[in-house]
Amino acid sequence: MLYLQLFVDGVVSGCAIGLVSISFSYFYSVTGTFHVAHAGIYTLCGYVAWALVAAGAPFIAALMLAVLAGALSGYATQHVLYQRLADRQASPLVMMIASIGLLTVLQNIVAIVFSPNIVQFDMPWRVGHLDIAGVTLSHPQALIALVSIVIFVGLTVFSARTDLGKRIRAIASNAELAEITRLDPKRVFAYVLAISSAIVAVPAVLVGVDQAMQPYTSLIVLLTAVVAMIAGGIGSLPGAFGMSIVLAVIQSLSVALIPGRWSIAAVFGIFILFILLKPEGLFRRRFSRAL
Amino acid sequence: MTLEARKLVAGYGDKSILEEVSFTLEDGEILAFFGHNGAGKSTTLKAVIGLIETRGGEILLDGERIDQLPIGQRLERGLRLLPERRGVFPDLSVEESIDVVAQRNCSRDGCKITRSDVYDLLPVLRERRKVIAGEMSGGQQQMLAFALALLGSPRCILLEEPSVGLQPDLVEELFAKIREICGRLSISAILIEHKIASAMKIANHVIIINSGRLVFSGPKTEAEKINLWNYF
Repeated sequence: MLYLQLFVDGVVSGCAIGLVSISFSYFYSVTGTFHVAHAGIYTLCGYVAWALVAAGAPFIAALMLAVLAGALSGYATQHVLYQRLADRQASPLVMMIASIGLLTVLQNIVAIVFSPNIVQFDMPWRVGHLDIAGVTLSHPQALIALVSIVIFVGLTVFSARTDLGKRIRAIASNAELAEITRLDPKRVFAYVLAISSAIVAVPAVLVGVDQAMQPYTSLIVLLTAVVAMIAGGIGSLPGAFGMSIVLAVIQSLSVALIPGRWSIAAVFGIFILFILLKPEGLFRRRFSRAL
Repeated sequence: MTLEARKLVAGYGDKSILEEVSFTLEDGEILAFFGHNGAGKSTTLKAVIGLIETRGGEILLDGERIDQLPIGQRLERGLRLLPERRGVFPDLSVEESIDVVAQRNCSRDGCKITRSDVYDLLPVLRERRKVIAGEMSGGQQQMLAFALALLGSPRCILLEEPSVGLQPDLVEELFAKIREICGRLSISAILIEHKIASAMKIANHVIIINSGRLVFSGPKTEAEKINLWNYF
């Protein structure tokens, strides 16, 4: 029973990491920018929702506004920072260093404006739980699982079926041709980061509700998400989402076998194995860009 | 439509590749553009479409200077580029590629070539519409690349080595298509090509550059009389 509970806990946190992973992967495979500051936007959105709830806003409104804050900050990040660097022919390394800088700035803004301490949402329903066949799921956990799957399916359908989704895939596939066929890649890059950042706001808020938040802990979430993206195959949304769940389940189950502080090491151990044995990932698209 | 380059100078970094290259392309004409590797053929096309800045000289489209315009406005005026080996979206299906490009280039009124037109002009694409572009043969990929360049209202297509990687009979087929479509729709073209004999069959006019300098310019009839290899 313990194993089943740990397994379910792993699946749920894997769903949350999966959203971080697909949103990071979506932007990375379109632009090639290693957007470390995704973790900063994650933190920012979580705290925006927390502050709104603390100020008396209904939770659903707080969540929606956090999503909006994510979209706006993502759009602004591409428009103000990355695009200007790209216009000056910045190398991928320069872009990543700028992104690390932005991450630091965002984390510290959150600490200054909101709180540098651990904070929890003040909502009574968050401690309620469901018992299904002997497995306990907290209300926020149930919400995470449900919402994550809806968003994952939504992004996949958006990418495959809609005009903008196809245009984004075309730009990811051949940016130079996109420029000379008037697909306007510069503008679309900003849309993509807005979409990615809106998505990442959701796990930021829901995980914050389920557990607690601190300004400086989001990077480890992003690292797990990046490991999942690479293991799943860069450019593959199902690969990134699926591998996030696999990694989170392994991390969760490892607690039963080894001391808890080694659980993250277990994930990175798997990452090292992947890099050595199957560096292209499990489900890599045939023609996509590589790291 | 007349495309004219006057004493064009362009290059990369500190290095100038083109030294005062001039040519004129009349409505519906095909201009074959020859020269050795690194002579500056692709640089010329990039400067005309706006992928690199010009350092001197002028580019005129119907008498209007376009060399200072951003790439988007040159595309809007009907210039198109079919880039060497990179003319398709390898991860998208034929249909998705055509839809995406048509949506951005055929939305305004007076669209000369719509998505159903390209399927009629290049029927092989209709048969292959569900196939992922990167999985098609080189010849079919070039047909798709040509289709993507045609969508909208093109008036002058810059073709960068369209025959690279194609088997000889496909080169003839592709060039015949280019000749037919350009003639029928009065689209002019500049054709950079290594397969000189094939290119000569469809050209009206020939220019040759050597190390960035124009060394020959004349109608096809004149080019046929001389030994082109002396100019390389």
